[in-house]
Amino acid sequence: MMSPHTRPRRRALGLVAGAATFTLVLTACSGGTRVGETTQESAAPEASGAEAGLGDVEGTLRIAYWGSGPRVDLTNGVSDLFVAENPGVTVEPESADFAAYFERLNVQGSSGNLPCVPQMQGRQLASYATQGALMDLDPLIESGAITVPDIPEEVIDTGRGPDGGLYFIPYGAAYDAVEINATLAEQAGVGLPEEGYTWEDFGEYITEAQGSLPEGIAAANLGGGLPNYFIAWTQARGEEMFEDDQIAFSEETLAEFWTFWEDLRNAGATSTAQQRAEEPPQTEQRYVAQGKVMLDSVPGNALTPGQATLSGLAPGQELTTVAMPSGEGGSGNVLFTSGWAISANCDNVPTAAAFIDFWANNDEAAALFASNNGGVTNTRHLQQQLDNPELPALKKHELELYQQVIEAKPPTVSYPAGYQANFETAFNRAYETVSLGGTSPEDAAAAFIAEVNAAFGAQ
Amino acid sequence: MTTATPSPTSATPALLRPVFPRRPSRNRVVISLARHLSLLLVLVVVLYPLLWMAGASVRPSNEAFGTLGLWPSNFTLENYATGWSYGSLNFSRYFVNSLVISVLCIIGNVVSCSLAAYAFARLEFPFKRVMFALMLGTLLLPYHVTLVPQYVLFNNLAWINTILPLTVPKFLATDAFFIFLMVQFIRTLPRELDDAARLDGCGHVGIFRRVILPLSLPALGTTALFTFIRTWDDFLGPLLYLNDPAKWTVTQGLNGFLDATGESAFGPLFAMATLSLAPIVGFFLVAQKLLIEGIATSGLK
Repeated sequence: MMSPHTRPRRRALGLVAGAATFTLVLTACSGGTRVGETTQESAAPEASGAEAGLGDVEGTLRIAYWGSGPRVDLTNGVSDLFVAENPGVTVEPESADFAAYFERLNVQGSSGNLPCVPQMQGRQLASYATQGALMDLDPLIESGAITVPDIPEEVIDTGRGPDGGLYFIPYGAAYDAVEINATLAEQAGVGLPEEGYTWEDFGEYITEAQGSLPEGIAAANLGGGLPNYFIAWTQARGEEMFEDDQIAFSEETLAEFWTFWEDLRNAGATSTAQQRAEEPPQTEQRYVAQGKVMLDSVPGNALTPGQATLSGLAPGQELTTVAMPSGEGGSGNVLFTSGWAISANCDNVPTAAAFIDFWANNDEAAALFASNNGGVTNTRHLQQQLDNPELPALKKHELELYQQVIEAKPPTVSYPAGYQANFETAFNRAYETVSLGGTSPEDAAAAFIAEVNAAFGAQ
Repeated sequence: MTTATPSPTSATPALLRPVFPRRPSRNRVVISLARHLSLLLVLVVVLYPLLWMAGASVRPSNEAFGTLGLWPSNFTLENYATGWSYGSLNFSRYFVNSLVISVLCIIGNVVSCSLAAYAFARLEFPFKRVMFALMLGTLLLPYHVTLVPQYVLFNNLAWINTILPLTVPKFLATDAFFIFLMVQFIRTLPRELDDAARLDGCGHVGIFRRVILPLSLPALGTTALFTFIRTWDDFLGPLLYLNDPAKWTVTQGLNGFLDATGESAFGPLFAMATLSLAPIVGFFLVAQKLLIEGIATSGLK
């Protein structure tokens, strides 16, 4: 009898051979991209003296940004303008929602496969800059490959990493604002806070409004877990947020911030801790856009979509935004800029530089993009957009408030590596131990600072 | 037993009859009604989020979150019209892309996992137990651990921006869960059938093709269904490997409606999400019989 193994073994060999061929064929005709293979070699010649970033503008340029729907169209529209001006260039865009975008960028970054021109924001910058994933752009500005005559110095500085190197050129600057349901505020007889109001005024304003608001509507959304409120709190006191990758504000500052919100919450002037904990993050689902609270802190550009939602749910009610509270230490308003960086593994630096330069200076591109991702940083473009009679009223308000913020010389906050992962989520959690768990603000502040400093130290 | 329990109506006047009979009814219709009613109640709870989404998809976009009710007061199909080709999105293309990837994954998993399972269930080879344990061990590896190395590997193969990273691994029997499922199933098939086939001149290929495969249909159906659902729902894989918008899948398209830093389009999102569920429901209806058999016979929990 024939051994039962002989035939199958031969067939098995055939199968393996077949599978191997299949894989080889796939590899050969896949037509896929492999980027970053020349990471080490190509990174070397850039940034050398006076010619840094200068050269032929041609070839393929991979760019990546966050955004959806309208912003994708606008960003790709600007790319088309760039291509029209530079024949021979192909722009390959990659986009995703903010959270998904950074999830992907993390993986790409750790694999040496970053897009040539990734979009960056100050809060994430350090995580990439300290890993050597991004190129220092100062030499490119010196050589003239990128020109930024119309962007204010303090705005450019928001693109600097912890080592002082310039890692992205901000094209749009978002600011946080206090969004107020003006209709409700009018009904409650409190109107709007006056320009330059302090945190103390803010607390009184909320308490006073609560007295005459309809049943079931809180004057303010509970804000103790919102890092951006706290940043405004420290800036108003003239304190630094971070220094040498550690927390620089004092325990008392944080404890007083949480006490401020706890007092309001206990007085019934805010949404409850439970309501706040289950609030979804999308602009349209926020309580202030739903007409459930009178005010909340939101990004300045959330006004238009927020109003669209409110108009559907509570017709006739109007939202507006005012600057964040300030104090003796200065303006509480900081900028959250978005801009373009060049990755260290980019093998087409001249084109990348030209692309960034185009965003920073081209009038047509700025008019098309119309400050879709924060107010345009180029002051000439900002004036052009404000002068445009077709600018929608809410957008005009957003840009005017932005101009007001800029004129107050906003302080720059430099975020340590791992800020988003270690600080932002922990901040809300720490406040929840106060608002939901009953820990005292002092204890929670001490525990939070120790925890975050340890996490930063481990970066 | 029927004689010992007279029906309550015949013994007591209607007015005195207790609301709940002291003894559970033995009437089959009553029992069955009660069972179906409670199942329906559970079903309503389970289905509510889906129904709400379907309801929200036919409300005007800015009213999407206004109500917990299901029925829209301002009925509109506009979300479906705008969502299908919203901005630069193109759902005709995404559905085709998702379908191609899903079908390839199903073929890959069904073919490769059943072959691997046959080997583990029926063949004797060195280190079989160790390899089986290793295979099961891969189930315990969280995907985060392999995410970056995998990406590096596929990048070096120049497979980024192709569907290869999403499909080729399925042809290499990398889904340990399905191998395990099928090993368990094949083990329940009587070996006598193999012996009979061998006497008739079948080798392993013949046994696999003529005996094991036809009998494993329920397990294959289960594998196909679960592979389909997983692939269709996968977001992270396409997000990492398919950057070119023309190659996006449905899940990426749905993500394209959301933007935490700007405007989100919830009405169209719900409309497209509702549509994206249709293939899953359809596939489930078709494969349902196989699926239930597969679960019942393989001891899958």
